[in-house]
Amino acid sequence: MSTPILAVREVVRTFGGLRAVDGASFDVEQGSITALIGPNGAGKSTLFNVVSGFLSAEGGSVQFEGRRIDRAPSHRIARRGLVRTFQVPRTLTRLSVLDNVLLAASGHPGERLSGLLLRPARARAYERKTRHRAHELLELVRLDKHAQDYAGVLSGGQRKLLDFARVLMTEPRLVLLDEPMAGVNPVLGRQLLEHVLQLRAEGGMTFLFVEHDLAVVMEASDRVIVMNEGRVIASGTPTDVRSDERVVDAYLGVVPPT
Amino acid sequence: MSTIASFGFWSFVGIVAGIYTLFALGVQVQFGFAGLLNFGHVAFMGIGAYTMAILVVKEDMNMWAAAGCGVLLAMLGGVLLGLPTLRLRADYFAITTIAFSEILRYVATNEDRLTGGSQGTINLAGIGKTAQYDDQWRSFLGSVESGLHVGGDVAMLIVVWTVALLAVVAVWLMMKTPWGRVLKSIREDEDAAASLGKNVFAYKLQALVVGAALGAIAGLFYAWQFSYFSPDDFAPLLTFFAWMIVILGGLGKAWTVPVGAIVFGVIFAGTRFFDFPPFSLLDSTERAYLRLIVIGLVIIGLMLFRPQGIFGSRREMVLE
Ligand SMILES: Nc1ncnc2c1ncn2[C@@H]1O[C@H](COP(=O)(O)OP(=O)(O)OP(=O)(O)O)[C@@H](O)[C@H]1O
Ligand SMILES: [Mg+2]
Repeated sequence: MSTPILAVREVVRTFGGLRAVDGASFDVEQGSITALIGPNGAGKSTLFNVVSGFLSAEGGSVQFEGRRIDRAPSHRIARRGLVRTFQVPRTLTRLSVLDNVLLAASGHPGERLSGLLLRPARARAYERKTRHRAHELLELVRLDKHAQDYAGVLSGGQRKLLDFARVLMTEPRLVLLDEPMAGVNPVLGRQLLEHVLQLRAEGGMTFLFVEHDLAVVMEASDRVIVMNEGRVIASGTPTDVRSDERVVDAYLGVVPPT
Repeated sequence: MSTIASFGFWSFVGIVAGIYTLFALGVQVQFGFAGLLNFGHVAFMGIGAYTMAILVVKEDMNMWAAAGCGVLLAMLGGVLLGLPTLRLRADYFAITTIAFSEILRYVATNEDRLTGGSQGTINLAGIGKTAQYDDQWRSFLGSVESGLHVGGDVAMLIVVWTVALLAVVAVWLMMKTPWGRVLKSIREDEDAAASLGKNVFAYKLQALVVGAALGAIAGLFYAWQFSYFSPDDFAPLLTFFAWMIVILGGLGKAWTVPVGAIVFGVIFAGTRFFDFPPFSLLDSTERAYLRLIVIGLVIIGLMLFRPQGIFGSRREMVLE
């Protein structure tokens, strides 16, 4: 087996006395679509925050493409190609929808004062290219009609889609999606899922996503990681996990649909 | 002729408004665009003015070179202020900036050998030897006067406003670039910006330094306009004037700053002419305080009825 793109080892993160993540370990394979599931409060979002550098780990380690990232600042992790969305979308409401996506472009020479002053033509050319790509992505999530509107006018579901477009704009290698379909209208949610499958197939992108809708999890993911009370209690293929007793217990007897 | 109709008086108001435009533009970059609560902005003005004056008087430096050094030193001051503090929470940063400007003012008051002390730059060359740093400025202004066939006040008015409007245009252009977009994103939500790979700290530092340069340029004009100055000219009140201007005009836009500065200047100067009852019952010092009360009332009224400022966008204000 090749080295995993993400290796989480014995990660611990507490809030006061609460052990939100309590020694969680798992791998995400290169090119996979991996689901992270677990009941409310299991520590999924906290784990995302640790992996993406928004919270420090109090123990354990995180490796991305073979390199430790558990001490790296969040922006550097993102630049390396590990980009995340938030459970509550972080829409920049007073920027236009288009600007939200443009902002996400990586390596933009126009974002540096030196690049702007010394090589303005290059910065402009890059901005044109970025604009083109941003419009494509907005079309993909059906927000192109709103490109010039303030992002603050978007609904909750549309904001999730905007976050998704933004993440893709960064040209990531590993994408962490925290409940990407929550609040998204089912038709668009389905399309989003198809985009994920397609991006994996064409671009070799890897996805790790948190999702409560088990039907979606079973359908879309290659592997499932189950968390409960800060620990990983099971992992494997969707079929393996579905029949795992500990998983059924953690979900209080709610048998996942087939 | 009464003062209210005097051209000299109003051109003075115009010059001060131009200087305030440059000064407040720094706050607009730092707060209006990058969300930094800098309550010590006046420090940059002081660094610019004092560096220029000291280098001219004590080192016989060319005044323009000295002015350049003043701006550079203020920018360095921005870096030194920002490095340890910009990672702090916004409110702690705000407190540190006031401390920064007040510490510099006390140092300037007490280090009389460097700064001339509390009596100001007049003592820069030693007590009793009236020091002047603006000979070169006077001759420059003289050539503007004769070149344009205008009086001294008008020449100053033209020079100040040319520089101020160039700065406004420069900031406006900068904010339309991808660099400006990143600044605004940080103002909106630093975590979102960081999650997309933006180095929030580096951008905040840059905004602080750009604002510091604008503050220092304002300080230079302040020095040239008033021919001599002292540490007390750089009291925190001046920083708050800049904030009032930015709030009056509207946040997050470059061109609202000159509008805010003019409105502020007119209210400030206009209260001098409240010589009718009941104001005529007040003596002149009391009337001087009255202007602050009027400005305070205008701001309160604005917050109630136009919280976005005179020209700010209401729609931006209500978005969540
Ligand atoms: N910043 C915080 N401060 C204190 N407690 C926190 C903080 N963030 C999370 N917690 C707590 O940590 C635990 C794990 O929360 P987390 O958000 O990671 O769960 P989750 O698995 O994402 O749940 P959900 O499915 O509801 O999103 C919860 O008990 C939560 O209340
Ligand atoms: Mg969560």
